[in-house]
Amino acid sequence: MGTKLKLSGADMLMHALHDEGVELIFGYPGGAALHIYDAIFRQDKIEHILVRHEQGATHAADGYARSTGKPGVVLVTSGPGATNAITGIATAFMDSIPMVVISGQVASHLIGTDAFQETDMIGISRPVVKHSYCVFDANEIPKIVKEAFHVATSGRPGPVVIDIPKDMTAPDNLFEYEYPKKANIRSYNPPVEPDENQIERAVTELLNAKRPVIYAGGGAIASNAEEELFRLNEILDAPVTNTLMGLGIYPATHHRFLGMLGMHGTYQANMAMHNADLIIAIGARFDDRITNNPSKFSPGAKVIHFDVDHSSVSKIIEANIAVFGQVKNSLSAIIKLLETKLDQYNKDTLQPWHDQIKNWKSSHGLNYELYKDESDENPILPQAVVQHVYNITEGKAYVTSDVGQHQMFAAQYYHFDEPRKWINSGSMGTMGFGLPAAMGVKFAFPNEEVLCITGEGSIQMCIQELSTCLQYNLPIKIININNEALGMVKQWQDMNYGGRHSQSTYQNSLPDFVKLAESYGHVGIKVEKNSELKSALEKAFSMKDRLVFVDVYVDPAEHVYPMLIANHSLEDMWLSKDKKT
Amino acid sequence: MIKRKLTLIMENKPGALVRVVGLFHQRGYNIESLHVDPVDDFTPYKFIEEQLETKFKENEISRLTIQTLVSDSLMRQILRQLNKLIDVIAVSNEETTYLKGVLLDENLL
Repeated sequence: MGTKLKLSGADMLMHALHDEGVELIFGYPGGAALHIYDAIFRQDKIEHILVRHEQGATHAADGYARSTGKPGVVLVTSGPGATNAITGIATAFMDSIPMVVISGQVASHLIGTDAFQETDMIGISRPVVKHSYCVFDANEIPKIVKEAFHVATSGRPGPVVIDIPKDMTAPDNLFEYEYPKKANIRSYNPPVEPDENQIERAVTELLNAKRPVIYAGGGAIASNAEEELFRLNEILDAPVTNTLMGLGIYPATHHRFLGMLGMHGTYQANMAMHNADLIIAIGARFDDRITNNPSKFSPGAKVIHFDVDHSSVSKIIEANIAVFGQVKNSLSAIIKLLETKLDQYNKDTLQPWHDQIKNWKSSHGLNYELYKDESDENPILPQAVVQHVYNITEGKAYVTSDVGQHQMFAAQYYHFDEPRKWINSGSMGTMGFGLPAAMGVKFAFPNEEVLCITGEGSIQMCIQELSTCLQYNLPIKIININNEALGMVKQWQDMNYGGRHSQSTYQNSLPDFVKLAESYGHVGIKVEKNSELKSALEKAFSMKDRLVFVDVYVDPAEHVYPMLIANHSLEDMWLSKDKKT
Repeated sequence: MIKRKLTLIMENKPGALVRVVGLFHQRGYNIESLHVDPVDDFTPYKFIEEQLETKFKENEISRLTIQTLVSDSLMRQILRQLNKLIDVIAVSNEETTYLKGVLLDENLL
């Protein structure tokens, strides 16, 4: 053994990140982080991306993490740098996205003195992190980094904060650097392999179900279980629905795919869930946007729940069989056992169930009432925008979205055949997520088509990142579905508040998005007529090396349907403005 | 709603207690009483050391007892949420014990 490297805290941090395999950091400098920023300057292994707002840094790291499966890394300064990052940390937390956020802190001796740019980052982030560390001894930086990445990426993933007081990274204090090979946290032991008894019980139910539905969510994507899920359903031949977070884990173009379920799920997906005799929940957690009223949820169904998180099972809907472990491993175990019992299973017993679903699908399919008329006398329908984008990109693009009507239209009409290509803030519903998230995806996949479907409300919440896109030459395509109002708020006001549009319109104060894009050095295209839509989108996607902002004015009166009727069951839906089930 | 007693064995680290208390606060459960002590006699916790393949050292772990008013269904959820906290080693109510993800059918703490 030669002598160990002697490094400052800041240099140890950079070495540790490199040893952990980090290639990119999204961040923004400031006083308490300056020692770390100097260490960044003096190395060339990790690239730092300078965003324009710390929220943008967290969402970019989040988009990077969702698309690659690797943890996103963020570096911010103390005080406002740290608090600005909170929304993005909470977004990652709610969707179980692995992320490590390093925040500068005022020097140790100043903590608690109301020092300049001091805020209790550990305290303020506590409810929205999986875990957090404050560095009290610079010697511990490598160990803490190792642990932070282990916690962020294992079990149910989530964000981890490392708060580093400025004196811990001082250039004059040197320490022997060694990066631990393994994180050893004795009090942390997330389940990996499933219990065999539960697997056997689950298989018995699977073999006997007459009306099964596979309900897969973001946890299945986090566990990279797409092959196992596909193989499982080669055996079962059951209908499959995905949550908003799970889209892509099962191919949307597969004939057994029902579409998304829940609040704005398809008619057939919600009807199938309500009438099922067995729900196979895979990395999904029966969110309130899925169950509607839990006491009326799927009255005749048994539930098999596959999850890595004990606290997610039987929280809202009681599971008859709970299989804890990495979903990928649990499904492998199920497949292995099922394959020994194939003689006991006959796909044909599901035929009446498939016929029933086919009936539901044909009576109220998604394209119901769409495309009645594409002439220029009629306004552009937002759904049509997504359908054109889907066709032009051949369903192969990475699509990020913001939050609101456009997000639901994107989820309904862009059909994802692969996981990790649909990047949206599902649980937190964070407006402003889409553009910075698209940046993170584009950094990870520079040669892939990356587009952001957004609205004129959401895009203005992180619009400053257009400048970052110019600095790093990120040719993202932004599709702004512009209905000149906060569409989802307005829809609820139409449906539940007698059409009183309280604070959901802008009184003609919207910017000229074309000029705005141009002022940031990008290309802007405005579309107002149906006849211009397709060619404008084709033109945008043909400009491979430019960021193009397509501002599409759509029908401001359009609502998202189907929509669950609050406090009822999954079979109670609005199908259009004047038609319920 | 009945008064329930929870016992936790956790790492004696800054911030560990506030994570436990915060979990109650966030969900609107009131804490009726709270008691924390460092553990100096590890004999009752040999089974934890064996399960975690570790040796506790002086001042490394704390024993925490909490009394709170909750329903049975919430009780289970609280246990699971406490078990999920990284610094919590084991948590039990009158009937069950969570020892880092392993559910045991008796109060061992």
